Amino acid sequence: MAANEPRAVRVALPRGDLRTPVADRLRAASFIVEGYGEGSRSYRFEVNDIPGVQVRVFSDEDIPIQVALGHYDFGIASRMWIDELLVRFPNDSIVPLRRLDIEGDTLVAAGAPGSTLEGLASAGVMRVATEYPNIAQHYLTRLRVPDYRLYEVWAQAEAWPPEDAELAICTASAARKEGLAVLDEVHRGGVWLIANREALATRDLSAALGPLVSLPGSSEWGGIVEPDRLDVRRAAPRAVEERTAFRIAVPDGHAQRHTVTALAQAGIAFEGYEEGRADRHPVSSDPEVIVKVMRPQDMPRAVALGHFDLAMTGRDWLRAFTASFPAAPVVELCDLKRSKYRMGGVITEDLEVETIEEAIAIWRKDDPERPIRVASEYASLADEYARSRHLGKYRVIPISGASEGFVPEDAEILIEGTETGSTLRANRLRMIDVIMESTNCVIGAVERPSGRRGELRDQFVERLAAAAETAEQVTG
Amino acid sequence: MPTDTLNSTEASAMPDRGMPDRGLRSNGMRDLGPADMARFRQIERTFLEASAAAGYREVRTPTIEPLHLYTAAGTLSPQALDRVYSFLDWDGWSGERVVLRPDATVAVARWYGEQGGQQGAASEARVSYVQPVYRFAAEGNREVWQCGVELFGVSAPTADTELLLLAKDTLGAIGITDVTCDLAHAGLVRAAFAAAGLNATEQFEAYDRMLDGDASVTADLVATHPQGAAALRVLSEVDGTSVGYVANLRAAMLPVMPEAAGALDELEAAARALEVAGVPFRLRAGTARSFEYYSGLTFRFSAAGRDCVSGGRYDGLAETIGGVAAPGCGWAADILGLAAILGDGVLG
Repeated sequence: MAANEPRAVRVALPRGDLRTPVADRLRAASFIVEGYGEGSRSYRFEVNDIPGVQVRVFSDEDIPIQVALGHYDFGIASRMWIDELLVRFPNDSIVPLRRLDIEGDTLVAAGAPGSTLEGLASAGVMRVATEYPNIAQHYLTRLRVPDYRLYEVWAQAEAWPPEDAELAICTASAARKEGLAVLDEVHRGGVWLIANREALATRDLSAALGPLVSLPGSSEWGGIVEPDRLDVRRAAPRAVEERTAFRIAVPDGHAQRHTVTALAQAGIAFEGYEEGRADRHPVSSDPEVIVKVMRPQDMPRAVALGHFDLAMTGRDWLRAFTASFPAAPVVELCDLKRSKYRMGGVITEDLEVETIEEAIAIWRKDDPERPIRVASEYASLADEYARSRHLGKYRVIPISGASEGFVPEDAEILIEGTETGSTLRANRLRMIDVIMESTNCVIGAVERPSGRRGELRDQFVERLAAAAETAEQVTG
Repeated sequence: MPTDTLNSTEASAMPDRGMPDRGLRSNGMRDLGPADMARFRQIERTFLEASAAAGYREVRTPTIEPLHLYTAAGTLSPQALDRVYSFLDWDGWSGERVVLRPDATVAVARWYGEQGGQQGAASEARVSYVQPVYRFAAEGNREVWQCGVELFGVSAPTADTELLLLAKDTLGAIGITDVTCDLAHAGLVRAAFAAAGLNATEQFEAYDRMLDGDASVTADLVATHPQGAAALRVLSEVDGTSVGYVANLRAAMLPVMPEAAGALDELEAAARALEVAGVPFRLRAGTARSFEYYSGLTFRFSAAGRDCVSGGRYDGLAETIGGVAAPGCGWAADILGLAAILGDGVLG
């Protein structure tokens, strides 16, 4: 780009469920992003007949921070992710322009049927699971819950109550699907068009702003709902009874197929947990064994908290967790030797260097003080990587998906996993630095439980380890 | 004690309210050079000598405290909690957040409660401290070095008077003599709320609005409690400058808000003590401070147009955070603010 050529107007659009309704409305407003809304795996688009406007697709929750940082001039995102950023980091860099006529979900406080907020808060420390820790903290502070513990989970907060948390702050639809009772409204959603304040103040963005402000809007405001405060005093700690049941957590999502196979090869089956089916509470033929399906990312925490005796997750998630909390009492018990991939530092293919040090030297050639941006879904690993490689001044950009699109425009380094490298190559990226090799594994508490739970743990680990060893020998 | 409204004058360089890219120093933090430290130590030494002479022994509490120490109703307000530095410690997998000490009084009250718990009963304790508190501020210092005193186990008005005079004497020893003092009483606000028929939850909400600076609270109270209109207006719209104002408040309030009697007695005792000590004062009876734990008299000394000492009574605090029930009160000063009032250029 020539020095005097104006910077393109940059627009961040959401992927996922919002993609289709947003694309429909953009098309109606003559802001036609060819390919967006049709399930394209591309991250970057041009806009038909509007030169100088670039579109980039992000996960919904990443859009507010990209606009706040000024990397993007406009964004369309769920209000709950906008407020999740602003309630913790109030700044005036985001201008909410208007609410669009796209329905968004509502955040609620949900608990076991029959429970009440007052009852839960007055019975001792309240354990709260949520994917929205900032909104949750704001809510609990104003509710005046005397003492609470906030479990910041990756997903499926609604899966935690009632046995692993008293409350979930999650979407209303997820709470209802899980069979939880909605106890209070926390945030009214909606989808908003937002802009970067400085960009609006200093640059001509009218080519994009004109059509974007003509998107059909909604007169409802939405946002954080201030709760009626409880009149509850601090209670004595909840009585904790030692768990007698043996609890095991198994994953859904991408990791499910490998886990079902690993269990089957060890001669273990849970009814309701098969390929293509994952009930929340699968049933073991052994009545002493209680099984629960949850996200693998959240298993290290759940085990450290003592909620499970065993969990089947990935070594990457265990490493990401212990990078944040090295004293957490959770360890790998056996390697299942499946789902192998490498995790490491990824840079653009266009940079002809052999080491990360050479890459840093190029990035800082003209500006030695330039911060290096490290994007990753594994924020704690990215931070650890930046420290261990002595990046000097750096910024970790936590992201929640669409990661291959960040480098090189929005980050210099991506901390990412890859099985074959094909996805990286397709996006003109390459791994320059390997941090770890990951497989799925079984994790448990550092301290072996006593009694029957300890015996069952030994049996499960022995069978799974033996089956993994055999399977590896067979497949070579 | 909080010094939320004290001028943390020596604003750090804050060129950028957006990205945290300000060279090598964090936003809201400042360095103290040798001359600054000499002045700092001089003030600190004078404070410790003055408070020790009055029977106050120095304590120090940890920089990191559990967040839940501050979250119960009756500790910090939600507005203050929005500005604490909270984070997950290295062992925060349990979901327990910690904070950089946002307020010294709550931390010292925790210490006192634990001492009392060991002794099995509330006891009299006079303690002093010199330590920083950390609160987010868009502009100005986020680390504020406070010197302060707390007096546990002694009820109003005896302890209130002792603290007011100690504040005046300490400021004098430091070299700040031309002071004035604002007095208020949390009990008067609460009596007004109760008289207006607000239930416990509504009182909390109205108090939150006052803490937010919402001046329409008085108008709303008058609307719901018209027979108390005169009392509410004398309380909220007139600043008294003599003990006579307390007599006027008594005449206006007691017929419609008899539960205000105790608070008025305490306010009068404080006003008389200042009158005898020759400290000009203003009675701003209805003002609120942005800390929920105040239960009685609150006060603020100022000099040269700047706030310099603030404090008050917090009888329920130690019990609220899990300790023994004990009366308590205290005050604190921003050391750098005191240095700025001295006006010799050092720390200015």
